[in-house]
Amino acid sequence: MLNIIVCIKQVPRVTELPWDEKSGTLRRDLAAGMINPACKHALEAGLQIQEKIGAMVTVLTMGPPAAEEVLREALAMGANRGILISDKRFAGSDTYATSFFLATAIKKEIPCYDLILCGAYTSDSETAQVGPQLAEELQIPAAAYAENMDIKGSTLRVRRLVDNFRETLEMEFPALVTVSMEKYLPRYTTLAGLENAFVDSNISTYDADALGISDNAIGRQCSRTRVRKVYLRKAQKENVILTGTAAAVVSDFLNKYENKISAAIGKTIEEKEPGND
Amino acid sequence: MQYNPCMKHKLIRNSVRHFAETELEPVAAQIDRNATFPRNIIEKMRPLNYFGLQVPKKYGGADLDSISAAIVVEEISRVCAAVGLCVTVHNGVAIYPLLKFATQEQKETYLPKLASGEVLGAFSLTEANAGSDSGSVETTAVKNGNKYILNGTKIFVTNGGVCDLALIFALTGSGQKHPLSSVFIVESNYPGFLRGELEDLCGMRANPVSSLFFEDCPVPEGNLLGKSGEGMKIGLATLDNGRIGIAAQALGIAQGALEAAVKYAKERQQFKKPIASLQTIQNYIADMATEQTAARLLLYHACSLKDQGAPFGCEASMAKLYCSSVAAKTTSLAVQIHGGYGYSKEYNVERYFRDAKVTEIYEGTSEIQRMVIARSVLSQLIL
Repeated sequence: MLNIIVCIKQVPRVTELPWDEKSGTLRRDLAAGMINPACKHALEAGLQIQEKIGAMVTVLTMGPPAAEEVLREALAMGANRGILISDKRFAGSDTYATSFFLATAIKKEIPCYDLILCGAYTSDSETAQVGPQLAEELQIPAAAYAENMDIKGSTLRVRRLVDNFRETLEMEFPALVTVSMEKYLPRYTTLAGLENAFVDSNISTYDADALGISDNAIGRQCSRTRVRKVYLRKAQKENVILTGTAAAVVSDFLNKYENKISAAIGKTIEEKEPGND
Repeated sequence: MQYNPCMKHKLIRNSVRHFAETELEPVAAQIDRNATFPRNIIEKMRPLNYFGLQVPKKYGGADLDSISAAIVVEEISRVCAAVGLCVTVHNGVAIYPLLKFATQEQKETYLPKLASGEVLGAFSLTEANAGSDSGSVETTAVKNGNKYILNGTKIFVTNGGVCDLALIFALTGSGQKHPLSSVFIVESNYPGFLRGELEDLCGMRANPVSSLFFEDCPVPEGNLLGKSGEGMKIGLATLDNGRIGIAAQALGIAQGALEAAVKYAKERQQFKKPIASLQTIQNYIADMATEQTAARLLLYHACSLKDQGAPFGCEASMAKLYCSSVAAKTTSLAVQIHGGYGYSKEYNVERYFRDAKVTEIYEGTSEIQRMVIARSVLSQLIL
C-alpha cells in the first residue's frame, strides 16, 4: 500500500482581506480559514489514488493551533491521519523556512513515504515555492503543476500543462508532485465524515522541540527573505467610449490597446489585409 | 486533542454552505418560479448524508448532534428554503418518530432506506377540518384481520408529491373523552394510496406540497407505529422536534435575507452615498442582526436540551415562534431596504419574503406556539 503525504495550508477565506492602513498589514484575524483551494485538489488526487490502488493518506500542515481545522476537514474527506506542526516560533517563516520545517517533520514522523502531494500554489501568497523547495530539502524528484497522475508499480507518470503544451514526466518513488486546479475537482464532504473526524480522528501535534529543531534554525533566523513593505495597489479604471463606424471603432481599439492585448495573450496581433473571404 | 464542538459546527456550516451555494443557488430562483422539485440535486445530496442527519451510523446515517442538524437545515434554507423544507420534514418529522417509537424490525426495514434518501418521507396530520385542532382528525383506520384499512384525506402534505413513505394519523377507536388516534407507516405503493394535485403556494414553491387520499388502503398491522391509541403522544413528540427544524429553516431564510440586505445597502447609492451610511438603514440592519443572533441562541438552547435528554418542547416552541417571527420581519425589512427592486423577481429577497411567511403557520402556528409556551410556563411551580 502506498504511503502518501498531502501538505495542506490554511488560508483566509476571502480574497480581498480588510486592510489595516496604519500597520500596513492584512487583517487576517477578520477572515475565516479554509483549506487552500489548490491543496484541496492535491488532497483529492491523493484520495483518488487511495480509492484506486489503496494508500495511507497523511495530511500535514504547519500553522497556528487553529489550523487543526483544515486537518479535520481533510480527515472528513477521507484522509487517514493528520499532523499539525505548530509553534509560535514558526510565525513569520518564509517559504524556505517553511519547507525546511515540513521536511524535518516528514523525516522524523513519516520517513517511509512514497509520494508527497502539494497544492501548486496558495491563494494568499501565490509563491508556488514550498512544494519544489520541500523536494529539494528531501532530495527527491519533483514535478510541478500536475493535472493528471498515473501510477504503475513504483513509477509515477505525471502530465502537466506548461505554457501552451502538455508534457508527461516519469519518475520513481519517492517523489513530490504539486497539483494544479485543472483536474481533481475536490469532492463534497459527507456529514458522516465530518462527524467521524471529531469522534475518532487521528491528529498529532508537534512543536519545534518535539521535531528537534533548534532555536537558531527557527523563524526569522531560518528565513532567507524579508517582507520590507506591503502596500495596496490602487486600481485605475477608465471608461472609454469609442464611436464611429464599426471598422473605425475596431481600428481605434487596436491602436489604443494593441500592446496591452499582445502582452496579455503572449503574441503579436497580425493585421490581415481585407480580402473577399 | 480535545473534542471541539465549535470547530465541528463551523466545518459543518462551511461544508453545507459550499454545497448549497454551488448546487442550489444557481437554480433556486428558477425552481421557485416554475415550482419544480430539483430531483437531480436531491440525488447529489443523498450520498452526503443529508437525508440521515441524526440516524445512527449502523443504519447509514450521519449521527449528528441536534445543533449540527439545525445548522444543516439553516444553511440549505439560507439558499433555498423549499429544499431546506424537504430535508427538515424528512429528518425531523418522518425519521424522528421512527427513531423514537419504532420497533427494532420497523427500524431495520425503514431507517436505512430513509437515511440514504432512497425513500423520501412525509408526515401527515393536517386535514381540512383538523389544523391547529389536531384532535379533530377524521381519517380512519379500521382493523381487518392482520391489516388496518385506511380511509380519509390529508392536506398540505410537505413532500407529498414525491414521498415514498408517509406517517399517517388516523382514528382507531374512541376513548373516554376524545377519539383515539394512531400513527401508521404507509408506503406510497400500497393500493389506495393516491396523491392529489400539487398545491399552488405563495412560497416554498419548489417543494411538492400535495394532498394524500386513502381509499380502502390496506396497511399491515406491523406498520402501526408505537401502540394503538398513542397517536396524540407520538404526534406531539414529533411536532416538538419538527419545530426545531422549522426554527432552523426560518433562521436560514433570515440569514439569507440579512446578507442580501447588507450587500445591497453597501452597493446602492442614493444622495451620492451608499444607503448603508444612512441611519435608518443602519437601524434596520442592527435590529435584523441582533434579533437573528438572539434567535440562533434560542434555537441552539432547545437543541442542546434535546441532546441532553431533557424536556425541550417549550423551548422548541419558543425557538419556532421567535425564529419564524424574526424571519418574517427580517425578510420584510430586506425587501424594504431593496426598495422597488426588492419587490421585483430580479432579486432574491421577494422569494425570502414569501418563503418566510409560512414558517409562522406550519408545524403549529405562532398562536399555537404561544399556547404551548404559556401552558408550560403556567404549569411550572418555580420559574
